Amino acid sequence: METQTGYSVTDPLLDGIIEKHKGEPGMLLTTLEEAQKMHPWKYLPGETLAAIARKLRIPPTTVYSVASFYSFFNLEPQGKHTIVVCRGTACHTRGSKALLDEIPSMLGISREENDAGSSFTTPDKRFTIRTVACFGQCAQSPVVEVDGVMHSNVNSRKLMSLLSSVLESETEKNEQR
Amino acid sequence: MQVSEGMTIMEACRLAGIRVPSLCYLKDVSQHASCGVCVVEVKGARSLMRACITRVSEGMEILTHSPRAEEARKVNVELLLANHPQECLTCDRNGSCELQQLTFALGISEKRFVRTRLTPFVKDESSRSLVRDPEKCILCGRCVAVCNHLQQVRAIDFTGRGLKTKVSTFLDKGLGEVACTNCGQCALVCPTGAITEKSDVAAVRALLQQPGKVVLVQTAPAVRVGIGEAMGMPYGSLVTGQMVAGLRRLGFTKVFDTNFAADLTIVEEGNELLRRLQGGGILPMITSCSPGWIKFIEHFYPEQLAHLSTCKSPQQMFGAVAKTYYAEQTGLDPRDIVVVSVMPCTAKKYEARRPGMDGAFQYWKERLQLNGEEHFYDVDYALTTRELARMFRAAGIDFTHLPEEPFDNPLGESTGAAVIFGSSGGVMEAALRTAYELYTGKKPDSLDFRSVRGLQGIREADISLNGTTIRVAVANTLKNAALLLDQIKNGTSPYTFIEVMTCPGGCLGGGGQPIPTNAEIREMRAASIYFEDAHKSIRQSHENPEIIKLYNEFLKEPLGERSHHLLHTTYQPRV
Repeated sequence: METQTGYSVTDPLLDGIIEKHKGEPGMLLTTLEEAQKMHPWKYLPGETLAAIARKLRIPPTTVYSVASFYSFFNLEPQGKHTIVVCRGTACHTRGSKALLDEIPSMLGISREENDAGSSFTTPDKRFTIRTVACFGQCAQSPVVEVDGVMHSNVNSRKLMSLLSSVLESETEKNEQR
Repeated sequence: MQVSEGMTIMEACRLAGIRVPSLCYLKDVSQHASCGVCVVEVKGARSLMRACITRVSEGMEILTHSPRAEEARKVNVELLLANHPQECLTCDRNGSCELQQLTFALGISEKRFVRTRLTPFVKDESSRSLVRDPEKCILCGRCVAVCNHLQQVRAIDFTGRGLKTKVSTFLDKGLGEVACTNCGQCALVCPTGAITEKSDVAAVRALLQQPGKVVLVQTAPAVRVGIGEAMGMPYGSLVTGQMVAGLRRLGFTKVFDTNFAADLTIVEEGNELLRRLQGGGILPMITSCSPGWIKFIEHFYPEQLAHLSTCKSPQQMFGAVAKTYYAEQTGLDPRDIVVVSVMPCTAKKYEARRPGMDGAFQYWKERLQLNGEEHFYDVDYALTTRELARMFRAAGIDFTHLPEEPFDNPLGESTGAAVIFGSSGGVMEAALRTAYELYTGKKPDSLDFRSVRGLQGIREADISLNGTTIRVAVANTLKNAALLLDQIKNGTSPYTFIEVMTCPGGCLGGGGQPIPTNAEIREMRAASIYFEDAHKSIRQSHENPEIIKLYNEFLKEPLGERSHHLLHTTYQPRV
């Protein structure tokens, strides 16, 4: 599970987060959330979890138990762009599986055959494709979230245009560099 | 019927003589309400109720075995079976598995639901003491409850979600790589074979067949009140003599007793206490016989290691003495001696491989010009009570009909003070019996220090030694040990001497003992232990004639040079 990255959220940064939320109920969740946000790859490396456990005086196993339970927390590095497809019952009946399967070819990437997980990140960390069990937006199914923005009644055409703009923003940024 | 207010349906039914089955509920341990097996029908309630967490109320009508309740129970078990491996025949818990027994009792005759978890979980064999097989886990939460609440070790917890939920460690590391104390209480409460001891049975059986090997066996005090249960006898059966006879039939060269080494421990530890008392040493002194406890303090309270007695545990003292003194007495080559111990404990497997547990090798290294490749440990293998039962069954030994036989000499001689090591409070009482005499020069009025007996979590007593009163404490389970350590940390500890045992009730409730083990069974085992003590002709460790001889001929004096090398050890802080 642990991925070596050479980057972790530094101690002073963690101390800052903890200081801010000291004594609040549920501060473990808040701390995990902010630590994840600070990481350039939007995830919680093992060393960060261990540091949070130590600083909050919570057993490391408990911290891992919480972090691995919520789909919100990532234990693997995330791509620069994240596409989340809802795989709840309503979205499923309205074709979310087909949408999920179309994403790699639309982005021009290949998803490894043996990858059975609910999350996939390209080796170059450009894209992460994830699924969730339900967004709670069943009336507007199928639902796809792109970089934090939720889109409803998605079909192939709409998905293509969403992903195209993601790809365009990528090229623009590269040109600016 | 009438029951007291606040009682759960489960408890009330038990009083009524009806057993409501459950896979997750375990009295005094866990009330996780996750398995759905204890569901009962309550008149007037719309849904079925879980008997383990629903409290009774006035006029409540409960149907424990109505068709509806039974059908729901059956389906819940069938759902558990969907992902459970069908390996009962070769499973460690075949015959003692609660899931297996319940499946049979409910009349489930086929596997109705298909497996939903496609990628199997990986087995964890990294620990010296325990094996975890999450494939067999039914997520009942008992192990998590004992690890987190009873022991406060928190090595394991639920991780992941949905189909990927499993009981695991921090970052899914191996149990051998995290702060686990190897106490084995998780294995003791597991309803299936998801957590078991790492078996050394095959290795020991192979050694018994190997020509030229002198295979010595030592048995811990708590094994004699447990092994009978595992062989089908009533709870707490005292079977010392049959156990010895059985071990002899298994082919051990000599059947010795860890109790001999327990007497030795008391002489060393009693003198250590006296030296600390009189020489201004670090107090309170805390006992060091229980290897789960040792690893606990090394992980969680490393700044207090100086409070630990430096005495090795009786298991380790036995190994060191067997491969030096006994080898010399009998003219045996120490390299040919194999020491196997039978322990109520899983942590003893780990302890036997701790660095420094090779005192005999160090003793002989110079004398016999041994090289590194010939390295041996003082104790070669530690079996649990359950593993010994398996060996007896494999060898076709009709245990209940065995005659009673005595231990071999000299390392089989022991006193009443040694046998009570098997119960919480026993090391304290044994130490007091000897320390009192060492300190005052006279025998105590009574050898029964009843104030330190009992199976409560923490007990304390004031002991008067010729006008000087010392306060002592006895703790069992690591949660209670932690309370006493916190007192020391805060400078408020009123104690001179503390006994700590890792498991509830001490060794008699150890992680290697027969399944089931619960509060009532522990009481019965304790009664047998104190019965054996009361009927021993010698009841003070320092009066053991073979111990006196050992000092005269070999060790010379307690806490002396030889003792220092063979019988004492050091501890290390751990993360």
